[in-house]
Amino acid sequence: MSAATSEMVVREFFDRYRRHDVDGMTDLCSLTAEFSYVPFEIWAKQRVLRGDGKVRTVGKTIWHGLIASFPDLTTTVHTVVANDDGDVVAEVDIGGTQQLPWAFVTPARRRYDEPHLFIFRVGADGLIAQITAYWDNANVNRQLGHNEVD
Amino acid sequence: MSAVGRFLDGLARRDIHAAMEPVADDVSLTVYPFAVRDEGTGALRAVLDDLLTTFPDLRVTTKRLIVTGDVVTAEIKLDGTQAADYAGAVNQAKHVDLDQAWRFAVGGDQITEVHVYWCRQQLLRRLGVKRFDQVAMV
Repeated sequence: MSAATSEMVVREFFDRYRRHDVDGMTDLCSLTAEFSYVPFEIWAKQRVLRGDGKVRTVGKTIWHGLIASFPDLTTTVHTVVANDDGDVVAEVDIGGTQQLPWAFVTPARRRYDEPHLFIFRVGADGLIAQITAYWDNANVNRQLGHNEVD
Repeated sequence: MSAVGRFLDGLARRDIHAAMEPVADDVSLTVYPFAVRDEGTGALRAVLDDLLTTFPDLRVTTKRLIVTGDVVTAEIKLDGTQAADYAGAVNQAKHVDLDQAWRFAVGGDQITEVHVYWCRQQLLRRLGVKRFDQVAMV
């Protein structure tokens, strides 16, 4: 898998994300693709929900929920770098205006924009095998007017 | 060892001088959770100084190092015990573990740009902070 091909797959992934085409995003991933949204932690009374699992279960659920809560959600890709091993690193801003509850954040029609770092692994079959993302959730919450850590 | 390897090795040994050795004088630094955008080794040194002063037993574990041309991305885990106020949070001697991603641009075997991504909510949660707008209250 050449670096150029892997980069193209990831750019297509974000094009589909921008169009809110979650099924299309998922189609670019292998059936068992791994998913990790590192900052995604919801501390309930007796357990912690984390954004770790598979794209087709955890990932799709988060993407659908995010788009439902932020109907004008958009992505702006700043940099994409790749190597011939299928590794792709992308710096992407994600933002939108909240219309529905998101985690513990009640909607106040506020907008957030937040820099994200995505790390992908694209397999030899040309499908995304792994997605990992980092961002500052405190800044997202602050922009949305939510000041409670949990 | 590569420039990024030397930086991470120095940080893991809590040796700021060694960590800074491969860093270009005019390095560009962005630490997203602290809204830091600065240039020069002084800015990066201050970030490392603050980190090691706060967490004197800091352990740095490199989980994955991804080389993509002249960009190197490191997924690391930091863990340590708070020994001083940090990011506005008072010291309660809490143990913290935090996954982070550092994206380095390298030119001529020197680090020329650093972008640091991690979640301040995860940090404050582990430090026992309850509200973003009252970080000093626990």
